[in-house]
Amino acid sequence: MRTGLLAACAAVAAAHAGVDPVPGVAPRAEFVAPAPGSYHLQRIQRTGDAVLLDDSGRARHLAPLLHGKVTLLTFFYTYCVDPLGCPFVRTTLAGLRARLVADPELAARVRFVTVSLDPQTDTPEVLRAYAKQIGFDPRLEWRFLTAHSVDRLLPLLDDFGQDVSVDTDAQGRQTRTLHHMLKVFLIDPHGTVREIYSLAFLQPDVMFNDIQTLALEAHPAASGAASTRPAVLPDGTVLAVRAIARRP
Amino acid sequence: MRNRSRLTCLLPTLLFSVGLAIAAHADETCNSPYVSNLIRGQEDFIHVWTLGVEGLGDGSDKLVTIDANPHSGTYGKVIHSVSVGGRGEAHHMGFTDDRKYLWAGNLNDSKIYVFDVGTNPAKPKLVRTITDLPEKTGYVGPHTFYALPGRLLIGNLSNTRDNGGVTGLAVYNNKGGYVAKYDIPTSNIGGVQGDGYGYDIAINPAKNVLLTSSFAGRQNYMRALGEVVKDPEAMKHFGGTLVAWNLKTMQPTQIFSVPGAPLEIRWAPAPGQNWAVTAAALTSKLWLVKQDGAGHWHAKDVATIGDPAKIPLPADISITSDAKGLWVNTFMDGTTHYFDLSDPEHPKETFHQHTGAQVNMISESWDGKRIYITSSLLSLWDKPAPDNEQFLRAFNWDGHALTPTFEVDFTKEELGRPHHMKFTAKPTQQAALRARGAPQS
Repeated sequence: MRTGLLAACAAVAAAHAGVDPVPGVAPRAEFVAPAPGSYHLQRIQRTGDAVLLDDSGRARHLAPLLHGKVTLLTFFYTYCVDPLGCPFVRTTLAGLRARLVADPELAARVRFVTVSLDPQTDTPEVLRAYAKQIGFDPRLEWRFLTAHSVDRLLPLLDDFGQDVSVDTDAQGRQTRTLHHMLKVFLIDPHGTVREIYSLAFLQPDVMFNDIQTLALEAHPAASGAASTRPAVLPDGTVLAVRAIARRP
Repeated sequence: MRNRSRLTCLLPTLLFSVGLAIAAHADETCNSPYVSNLIRGQEDFIHVWTLGVEGLGDGSDKLVTIDANPHSGTYGKVIHSVSVGGRGEAHHMGFTDDRKYLWAGNLNDSKIYVFDVGTNPAKPKLVRTITDLPEKTGYVGPHTFYALPGRLLIGNLSNTRDNGGVTGLAVYNNKGGYVAKYDIPTSNIGGVQGDGYGYDIAINPAKNVLLTSSFAGRQNYMRALGEVVKDPEAMKHFGGTLVAWNLKTMQPTQIFSVPGAPLEIRWAPAPGQNWAVTAAALTSKLWLVKQDGAGHWHAKDVATIGDPAKIPLPADISITSDAKGLWVNTFMDGTTHYFDLSDPEHPKETFHQHTGAQVNMISESWDGKRIYITSSLLSLWDKPAPDNEQFLRAFNWDGHALTPTFEVDFTKEELGRPHHMKFTAKPTQQAALRARGAPQS
C-alpha cells in the first residue's frame, strides 16, 4: 500500500496495532526482459466506461480513450509526495515516453491516461498545471482526467479494482492523505486489460517490451517488427525473433 | 526424475503411518509479494479454513475467525464462522492483491469460495463461489492461491482426465473470471524429465522467476492413506520435481529433480536474498534453490529434518521475515522445529518441541514473536483417535522457548478439522473515499 504523505504514513503505523504501511521497496529487475512478441499477455479483464472531465473541463467518456491504441492508465493525485507512489509512476511514465517517442510510429499508437483520485482538489485547472510540470510532447498522447465527484468516480475504481481509502487522524477526522495501491493498467486497443503493474512490477524495460508486444499484436508488420509471432520452445528459447527495428 | 526406489524403501514404515504432509502459504512472511498491507505488528484475527466433519456441528466446511489480539475481551475465542453448506475438502487460502478478499479452495469438489475480509475482518462474508475450474482448465484440486496484480495464480493438484498428478496453473481475475491456464511440463528440460505434478507457487519478481513444486493427484490425496501406502503403484505417483518458470512468458525454463514430494516453497523475504527453500515430505530433506554466478538456478539438499528413517513427514514451513530462521512442522511425530538459516547452505536445527499428537500448518507473525499451529492434514489422512486432536494452538516465541498463549479445540467447539490460517487486522484510521469530496461545478 502506497501512501501520499510519508509523515502521515508513519503516524498511522505508530497508532495502528496491525497494518504497517511502511515505505515500500523500489522495484528491482535483475533479468533481461523477454523480447517483444515472444510471449502472450493475459486478457485479464474488459474495461468499462465513465464520464470524466478533461483538463479543459470538458466532459469526456473514458471508453474511447481506452480503445484504438495501447493505453497505460493509472490513478493518481497531484499532491501525492510519496517517492514510491504517484511521483514514482510519473517518473516511470515520463521515462517510457522518452523511449517511445524515439520511434514515432510506435509512439503514435500509444496513449497514457492518468485519472485523479481526488476530484475535489484536482480540478481541471490543477490538472493543467500538473501536465505542464510534466511537459507536453505532441508525439505521444497523454490525457489527464478528473471526475465530477467522488460518487461518479467510485464505479470506475471498483471496475478496475483500484483500492483507495482516506486516512483519518486520532479524532477520526479525514486527512488529505489517500491510501491507494499503486497500479498501472496496460490496455490493448480493444479495451482489454493485458497487464497490471504494481510497485514490484513497475520495471521500465518490461513495460516497454509489453507495449511493443501489444503493438505487434495489433500491427504485426509495423515498425519493422517481425511479421509473424515467434515460436517459443518449452525451455524458453525464442525462435525466429527479430528485434523490433529501432529508428535512429 | 522421481525417486521411486526411495519411495519403495519408505513403504514398510508408511504402512504404519497415518499421515503425510500437505500445506502451503500460511503466514504473514509467506504471502505473495504482491499482497498489500503486510501486518508487521499485532494481528487482530486469524481466519482458519476448516474441513467439515460429518456429525460434528453442521458438518460443513467453514471459515472460522478467531480473535488474536491479546488486548481484546474475546482474545483466543472463536468470534465468527461462515459455513459454506457442504464438504469439499477445504484446504488452502490466499488473499487478493489488495487483501480485501480471501479465496479458499476445496481439493475434492474443486470449488473456490471468495470471502470479503476487507469490509469487516471480524465477520468475513461469503460473496462468490467459483465452480468452473475443472470445466475451464481440466484441472482439479485448487491448492495454492497466489496474488498477482488484479488476479490470482492458482496451483492445482490434479486433473479431470484421470485424477492423477499431472496438472497445471490457472489464472482468474479478482472478479472471479477465468483468464488463462498453463500446464506443468511433462517434457524433458535440461536433461531432467518433468512429471507434470503441481503443488505450491512462489515468485521472485526481481528475478522474474516463478517456482512450482509437486505433490500428488486426487486418486492419492482423496484415498485413505492406509490404502495408498499399501498400494505400490499408488506410491509411485508422488511428485519429484521443482520447476522454474519465466514469470513474464509463463514458460518453464528449468526442471530440478527433488525426490520425495517437495511441498512448500519460500523465497527469502529479506531484500537482495535471492534464494528459496522447500521441504521434501517423503525424504525429510530441506532443499535450497539458488542462482549461480552464470545465472543458472540449482537445487540441492542442505539439511535433514528429524530422523528421515522414522518418516517424520515435514508438513508446513515458515520462514522468518529476515530470512535467518525457518519453522518446520513434522506431522507424524507432532514436532515443531526451528532451523537457523543464517547460512542457507547449511541450515542448523537449534530448537524442537512436541506440540501435538499431529501438527500440520504453522504460521508466524511478521515480527516473529508469535506462531500458530493447526492439526489437520487431509480428511482421510488425519490420525485416528486418540491422536485425532483437532486444534489451533498459539505460542509466543522469545528466540529460545515457545510459551503457550491460547488454544481452540475444534472438536469441542463442533467446528471440524482446522487447516490453513491467514491473518487480518482492523482497518483503523481510514475512511472510505466516498466520504470525501463535493461535486465539481
